[in-house]
Amino acid sequence: MVRETWSDVLAYYLNYVTNLQPVFEQTQRFILDLKPESLLNREIFEDKLKRENKRSVSKVKAISEFLAMFRTEIFEFIWNYVEETKDYFDLIDIQDYIIDFLIESIKALKTLESITNPDEDDLRKTLLYQSVHIIQEKIFPQGQSLQDIYDKLIDQSISYYEVQRHLLKPAAYYREDLEKSEIPGFTPNTYKILNQITSLFNLDPNYYEMPEDNAIDIPVILPEQVFDPFIEQIANKERTAITRILKRMELRIIDGIFIGPTERFLELTEPHNYITRKSVSEDKERIIPQFSNETLVLLYLAKTSYRRGFLSRELINWISSNIAFLIYKGILKVIVSDDNIFYPIFVDLKVEEKILPYLMKLACFENYLRMDRTKIRDSVQYRKQIFNSLGSKNEYIESIIKDIAEALHPLIENLNI
Amino acid sequence: MAISLWQELLQKFQEGLENSIEKISERDIDTIPGAKERLIEKLEQIKRYLPRNDGEYIIKIIDDSIQKSFFPRINNISEAFIKILDARTPEQDYIIQELINGFISSEGKVIASSKGGPILDNLVEAFKKRRDFKIVDFQYYAMFGNPNKPRKYVINRLKKIVEFLGLESDCYVKTDVGTGEDKEITYFSFPKEINQILEGRYIETLETGETYVTDKFDKMVFIAFFLAKVSVERKTLDKFKINGICAIFALIMIISFMPKLQIDEKNPINRDPHFDAQSMSVIPKSWMNSDILSELLPPLIQVMAFRLGGNDWLDKIELTEKKIKLHLQAQFLLKDVNKWVLGNMCRVEIPIFIEISAILNEITVGMERERN
Repeated sequence: MVRETWSDVLAYYLNYVTNLQPVFEQTQRFILDLKPESLLNREIFEDKLKRENKRSVSKVKAISEFLAMFRTEIFEFIWNYVEETKDYFDLIDIQDYIIDFLIESIKALKTLESITNPDEDDLRKTLLYQSVHIIQEKIFPQGQSLQDIYDKLIDQSISYYEVQRHLLKPAAYYREDLEKSEIPGFTPNTYKILNQITSLFNLDPNYYEMPEDNAIDIPVILPEQVFDPFIEQIANKERTAITRILKRMELRIIDGIFIGPTERFLELTEPHNYITRKSVSEDKERIIPQFSNETLVLLYLAKTSYRRGFLSRELINWISSNIAFLIYKGILKVIVSDDNIFYPIFVDLKVEEKILPYLMKLACFENYLRMDRTKIRDSVQYRKQIFNSLGSKNEYIESIIKDIAEALHPLIENLNI
Repeated sequence: MAISLWQELLQKFQEGLENSIEKISERDIDTIPGAKERLIEKLEQIKRYLPRNDGEYIIKIIDDSIQKSFFPRINNISEAFIKILDARTPEQDYIIQELINGFISSEGKVIASSKGGPILDNLVEAFKKRRDFKIVDFQYYAMFGNPNKPRKYVINRLKKIVEFLGLESDCYVKTDVGTGEDKEITYFSFPKEINQILEGRYIETLETGETYVTDKFDKMVFIAFFLAKVSVERKTLDKFKINGICAIFALIMIISFMPKLQIDEKNPINRDPHFDAQSMSVIPKSWMNSDILSELLPPLIQVMAFRLGGNDWLDKIELTEKKIKLHLQAQFLLKDVNKWVLGNMCRVEIPIFIEISAILNEITVGMERERN
């Protein structure tokens, strides 16, 4: 796969953002020049549209077609707005409102354009750097150690657990051969297995001497119990699968028979009360598990974040698309008001799929998410599928977007656009 | 005197409770002081009072709470749909979703399992894009690639969605602007009476006569519609769906029966920010052990089946060991309304649980008073 440089990706990203801007500006000029009563004359709009769309501009065909579609939609939205509101407001007020909506939209595009710069000057002050880091801290933190990351995730889970979990559940499932060291996202079955392990540890675990320290008894469960509700007997395939999954949560197979925690698991979870110690005799201590729903899910996510250089293609695409989506929606939320008639254009799949893929790649670079951007798929079909599944319907996503927008607000104001 | 089938089922239910009580007494799974005793006490009360008067109270719980909210006994699909929509709360949506996700049907799995979940999201988007509340095949294909050359699996998926939801189709011919060729377009819509309900709830009409679909329209509307369809067509359901529905409903009943536990002030759960004492209750956990649940669940599944679908349904409940294991999957479904917090099982107090436990409390308090 071609390794695109920062300037390559940035140029692709800016391509559509900068092309959209003049369309709004021209429309603003056109509305400003209109007499208010002409707002009711659809022919004027149609003539203008015809002229603009026919204008021979030396541009790539795909872009000019896209812009024609974009311009038509803008005009359509204006026309509908006039129709809807003409009985309630004076035409001159309607004209003012439309101009306000256009100014907001232009500002949004200008902000998206100034999200970073080709030389990454003043890196830490750029909007891209800041927004990636704001989002990361909440749902996919970086840290010096696994403990550091796990602690941060648990801290943030009170507000963002659902989004953190969402980040581990890719919406698209492409068959892919995983390298041994690669971490994939949750499939529905992995998630069920995780739930089952949590329940079994909490319900009635057995206790077994810890291989590293015979003064400690650790809780253990049987792999067969995990698969019990699904299949009669487990074979090699299940054993291999469970061993891999366990490793990603600092659990392990002990003596080929039991599932139990590693020493590291105990270190990681003890500060959060997920285990307690109970003395059973003078020289023996027992570790009692008391897991929460978050215990294993967030440990898996912490490991994913810690080993972010070794994620499966699917998971990289999913995480980066979600983070790009949050940045994009966060910026829009700050600038474009809810009643802006052009908002649906920004969140239309046709527009999103022109901007988000490059934002995903930009966000993967070394100074940001540090994930392998060469694994980001360029197929149009894949993009459609993945963007269709981004959490617009998820109330938790809506709530994190609100928080991101609040954090971005002063930064965007400082850009003085 | 020969006992009726219903009485036989009630008896089995009592036996199941008895065996569970025995098993719970033998083991110490619950760590909260007094939890085991409270659980045994509750199960004793259920065993004593619930089957009384020919199971009058079990019938009340099934009919007045579970059927009313999730599975209305009505022949008219529109009315059933309205009832399910009325019972919706965000938390109860989880239950409905789990009904589809876990069990209901293989078709259900295609459309609403986590793997296919996004398809349902896409479908909502596809409906929202149009103001006439119809979905056009061409538009749907465009969501997954080139609409002129849709992939086979995309076509098949749309077919399954249409079957799943019972959508009605219609065709018209349109000239393609690009090629000038005539093209047959198929659009799908809900049946007329359902459309009227949706229009009333999810479609807003502007002054200009223009309509738009509001944000309240989400995938749960499709799922509620599916459930309404299934409840109306309950006589023709297959074995798989029947077993699934009864297992989930039986589990809802068991969870509702669980007593709230008093937690010591020093218990770390009180300091855990994921625990909200206002909306959650700590309940005993030993019932979740598969040994105990496999005593408790199967007879209740049979009771549920008989009440919901009579002999036809009861005949289709399979209680082989393999099937019981399948039923046990229910224990980790409903995971979002049953949370683990620091090793404690917490029930999120959603309306259906509150309603059933209130009925149970009313019965036991009344009976205890009579007894005394």
